[in-house]
Amino acid sequence: MNALEPPPPRLWRTTAIRLAVGYVLAYALALVVALAAVSWTTAIYSDARARSQLQQELKLLTHGSKRTDTQAIKDAMLLRMHGASRKKRLYLLVSADGNKLVGNLLAWPTEEDIPVDGQVRTVEIELEVLPPKWFEDDSFIPVIATELPDGGRLLLGLGVAQAKLLQDITEYLSEGLLLAVLLSLAMGLTLGRAILQRINTISSAAARIMAGDLSRRVPVSPRNDEFDALAGRLNAMLGRIQQLIKGMREVTDNIAHDLRSPLTRLRSQLEITLLEPRTEEQYRRAIALGIEESESLIRTFNSLLEIAQAHAGQFSGNVQALDLCALAHDLVEFYGAVAEEAGLALAIEDCSCVNIEGSRDLIAQAIGNLLENAIKYTPAGGAVTVQVIQADNAVELRVNDNGPGIAEAERARVLERFVRLESARHTPGNGLGLSLVQAVARLHQAELTLRDGHPGLHVSLRFPRMRSAKAMS
Amino acid sequence: MNIAEWKCFRLTAADYHRGMHVLLIEDDLRAAEYLVQGLTECGHVVDHARDGDDGLHLALTGKYEVIVADRMLPRRDGLSIVRILRADNNHTPVLVLSALGEVNDRVAGLQAGGDDYLVKPFAFSELLARLGALTRRQQPAPMDQRLQVADLTLDLRDQSVKRAGKPIRLQPREFRLLAFLMRHSGQLVTRTMLLEHVWEFHFDPQTNVVDVQISRLRSKIDRDHELPLLHTVRGSGYKLSECP
Repeated sequence: MNALEPPPPRLWRTTAIRLAVGYVLAYALALVVALAAVSWTTAIYSDARARSQLQQELKLLTHGSKRTDTQAIKDAMLLRMHGASRKKRLYLLVSADGNKLVGNLLAWPTEEDIPVDGQVRTVEIELEVLPPKWFEDDSFIPVIATELPDGGRLLLGLGVAQAKLLQDITEYLSEGLLLAVLLSLAMGLTLGRAILQRINTISSAAARIMAGDLSRRVPVSPRNDEFDALAGRLNAMLGRIQQLIKGMREVTDNIAHDLRSPLTRLRSQLEITLLEPRTEEQYRRAIALGIEESESLIRTFNSLLEIAQAHAGQFSGNVQALDLCALAHDLVEFYGAVAEEAGLALAIEDCSCVNIEGSRDLIAQAIGNLLENAIKYTPAGGAVTVQVIQADNAVELRVNDNGPGIAEAERARVLERFVRLESARHTPGNGLGLSLVQAVARLHQAELTLRDGHPGLHVSLRFPRMRSAKAMS
Repeated sequence: MNIAEWKCFRLTAADYHRGMHVLLIEDDLRAAEYLVQGLTECGHVVDHARDGDDGLHLALTGKYEVIVADRMLPRRDGLSIVRILRADNNHTPVLVLSALGEVNDRVAGLQAGGDDYLVKPFAFSELLARLGALTRRQQPAPMDQRLQVADLTLDLRDQSVKRAGKPIRLQPREFRLLAFLMRHSGQLVTRTMLLEHVWEFHFDPQTNVVDVQISRLRSKIDRDHELPLLHTVRGSGYKLSECP
């Protein structure tokens, strides 16, 4: 286990749970707002109802203010008081000296000073004076009070059970909230567990890959969902990484293989020279040979580095729009003399001016390598032709020769580093030419193909066409 | 390179660059040792700085004809030395040495104000040739429209070449090649220098393309003449001059 490796995620820390909790909180907030709105409207409604009922009742008792006699009001009240507590109505009539004459209230409330002005207002009435069967918790009661001509006072009240109503609503909604919380949590847990399972599969595959098993891949289910898309991407990435590492390994293997013998040669030549005293002429010869050997070592080494860099896709600056045809012309002209010496006709045909984007240096080198190969392997009297052809969305550079060609079975192999076919043993070269072309092609998203020319070899490099203005950076 | 050629190369190199004051800024002491030795033996006077700050300090004195600066140095990198020199209006030619070999690094090196860029490992003769070219470039009258070496003349205005008064017909690229060689007459010019300046290619062809181009040019300018002008310096490059 690596110290840097993150711990496996816990269920309660999964995104699904976080989302569920978030939803619950949002739901609760919405509920509170709804509750506030309901209680507000309820209050307004019940207030208005109480107001009209109380005024109505006062009018009945006082016969529209015509009945002012305390005794008469007392009688009327006695009649109307039947079942008052059950109907949540409060009545009280006191004499001028404050004694209770009639009513279900035990005494005139003292908790709050109630003005006797015939106006409806909500006051708090102490529990002690409320009737014994009065439903609890409702001490805020709309009341109306008035004073009679003889100094007696009349108090009417109406329990609207507003608090009770609100309490009921709150209760229902809270129950709903609790249910929602439980449901959300359950859903979150289930989802979290399911997602965690998929993630764990990917993560354990990653752990195994990190442990060194690079050929392992993330399992992809047949469901074809977003996780499978992710797994597919990861697998593609792993494939590319594995390929790069394989390439790197090949480079080191090849360096070890191909540089070891010239290095050994160089070293033993110098050692042998030192064994005995020699003439100055002999020393100079040995040193000159040493320089020559190291020169060719450096050359091979540089080629390897260039390929490795192109493979690694290091392509930061230096990308420009370039005319492939003009470049091909320059190179054909450059190699023209060599081709002529070798008794070959090197010419450019079908060249249409067209821009691609890329590194001039790298593409020049790739074309140069193709021309060098063609010149090297085509016997005297042959012909090498270069074409630059526009296709739909591509620009194709072709180098065709009419030499011996490459057998189909061997065509893929020649793209590998250091591969030199049996037939090429007698010609100079380090076997890196085509693999550099391949690397440059890949860097430019170009496609390198080798075809049979009947006779000869047809090599084609298909570059994507430059994407208009965006290309010039 | 045989002994006779090597001697001749050393002599001519020394002849043409005698007394050149070179500042070498290089932290690899073994590399610096052989560079100092080589340059001194070729007649140059070399000061060596081991890190970027010392190098910059010495460079700012302005007493050098050419500066050779490694790119990666302790305390201050080679490119920043070049930038500070240029900002200070000091135009001493600078050759940047680098172990980084990418095309982009070369571009960065030249953009920073370096005059030439050489990637390690390099042949000592390549360094010598490039130093020669850099200091020659500094000398006045490179704008001459008419170049002459012995009885060979090249006129840049009407693109004509004559040897002993007789016109010679050259392809456009051959003309550029000859013009470059004539501008650096008497100096060693390497294959890489020709590739970079005449063809603008920055790769190393595996075949002897440059040699073939040179021998074609030679057949055009030296054929039918007693005195050969275009010489091959084996293992290093070419030289256009009256004496080999």
